[in-house]
Amino acid sequence: MNRIAILQDRASMLAKTRTFFASRKILEVDCPLITSKASVDAHIDLIPVLEPDGSKRWLHSSPEYGMKRLLSEGIGDIYQLAHVFRQGEYGVKHNPEFMMAEWYRLGIPFAAMIDETIEYIRLFLGNLPYNLISYRQAFIDYAGFDYVGMSEKDLLDYIKEKDIAFYPSIENEGKDALLNLILGVLIEPRLGENSLCALAYYPASQAALAQRCLRDREETAERFEVYYKGIELANGYHELADAEEQGNRLVEANEHRIALGKDPLPIDEHFLEALKTGLPDACGVAVGFDRLMMLRHNVSAIKDVMPFNWEQA
Amino acid sequence: MVQISTNEFKAGIKIKVDGQPYTIISNEFVKPGKGQSFNRVRIKHLVSARVVDKTFKSGDKADVADVVEMKMRMLYKEAEGVVFMDEISFEQIKIPFEKIGDTAQWLLDDKEYDVVFYEGQPVTVEPPTFIEMVITECSPGVRGDTASGRVLKPAIVESGTTIQVPIFVEQGEKIKIDTRTGEYVSRVS
Repeated sequence: MNRIAILQDRASMLAKTRTFFASRKILEVDCPLITSKASVDAHIDLIPVLEPDGSKRWLHSSPEYGMKRLLSEGIGDIYQLAHVFRQGEYGVKHNPEFMMAEWYRLGIPFAAMIDETIEYIRLFLGNLPYNLISYRQAFIDYAGFDYVGMSEKDLLDYIKEKDIAFYPSIENEGKDALLNLILGVLIEPRLGENSLCALAYYPASQAALAQRCLRDREETAERFEVYYKGIELANGYHELADAEEQGNRLVEANEHRIALGKDPLPIDEHFLEALKTGLPDACGVAVGFDRLMMLRHNVSAIKDVMPFNWEQA
Repeated sequence: MVQISTNEFKAGIKIKVDGQPYTIISNEFVKPGKGQSFNRVRIKHLVSARVVDKTFKSGDKADVADVVEMKMRMLYKEAEGVVFMDEISFEQIKIPFEKIGDTAQWLLDDKEYDVVFYEGQPVTVEPPTFIEMVITECSPGVRGDTASGRVLKPAIVESGTTIQVPIFVEQGEKIKIDTRTGEYVSRVS
């Protein structure tokens, strides 16, 4: 399929996305792309916007904080279809500016949120089967070990034994960094080989904005990602509503950034304020629209499904 | 020293890793979920051609290897090396045989070669992809050999190397050789 035909199909899938949400009575919102405060995440770097007076704003990495503010105001189920920006995320499957479909559903169970995400993905990829595997089970099945109870040294020994090339500073970056390397090298490429694969229940230390839960004597987070053919498509949570814990996690994320030699980011007090007034029980998910288009058209490069990529823009 | 970051790593760019010059073959950006992103980079040693996989934390930098490739004309062989001349400056250098390696089999006086310098020192000599040479020695082609399936015969070319040529090719003829595979390509009329 040629470039123009793909762009025509892209337009049609944007329209189908809106129909998908409208038919479920989910309201479209358009929270600002440029915000005065930032999403704080240890491993997501933002693109700053400099104002003539020297002050700084940020291109959002996701509309999450704004959307949650609306949820706490009582708006109900909402979605946003918008470009988001992540500094430095550039590769064959990554572009620093990409299209994200993000939505929130009030009062539905975590499993139902995964189901709805799968339904959305099927709009693009057809009626594929899907399976769910826990983060812990994925390590057991694909890497051959249960990390619960393993030390950082055990994991590093495993990496060396498997001859996985690693960057030197990983030795001081904790257990999650080691799991992340193994996940990226050994596990991710094999997720969703023949069916959609939901990877769920991340370790609690990787909860980000998700609620925690105890599962098989492991502290986990109600967080999931969806993969197909080794490509990550979605990231969803049973949303954390506790303002105090959320505040602590943002502070921790900033401390993590500092430890990694990055600048801390300004914490969004509007967002924390909204959580204090009360975020309804909700699940939310963000899906990479361009990745779906890549898989739909069976192309390996993200640039082939967008009008212009980072280098051409 | 010029440095480049992982997002500028592209196939063909030469970087210095552990003090050694490598050519980048491929660069894959990996970012599982919300985790630390890293780049899996496949690199090939400039001299030994050994391929190595390295992982860089995304955004980390590497020194650009000071590698210069220069077209030089071979002048003559000596006991301990081969003398080449830069055609622009007329400067001559002698490159020892151990740096020339397998390329020695394609060396001919007065032909141009790509000489690769790393930090000012010659490290490898690359022959042109196709080279024309005269056959100095080979047995005459015998009619009927094709029937037995034997369609090639050995021939010694002027650099002293033996290659396989079709049986119809005769001593004294000039032929074109692919230096990547060492195979006969065609006759040169």
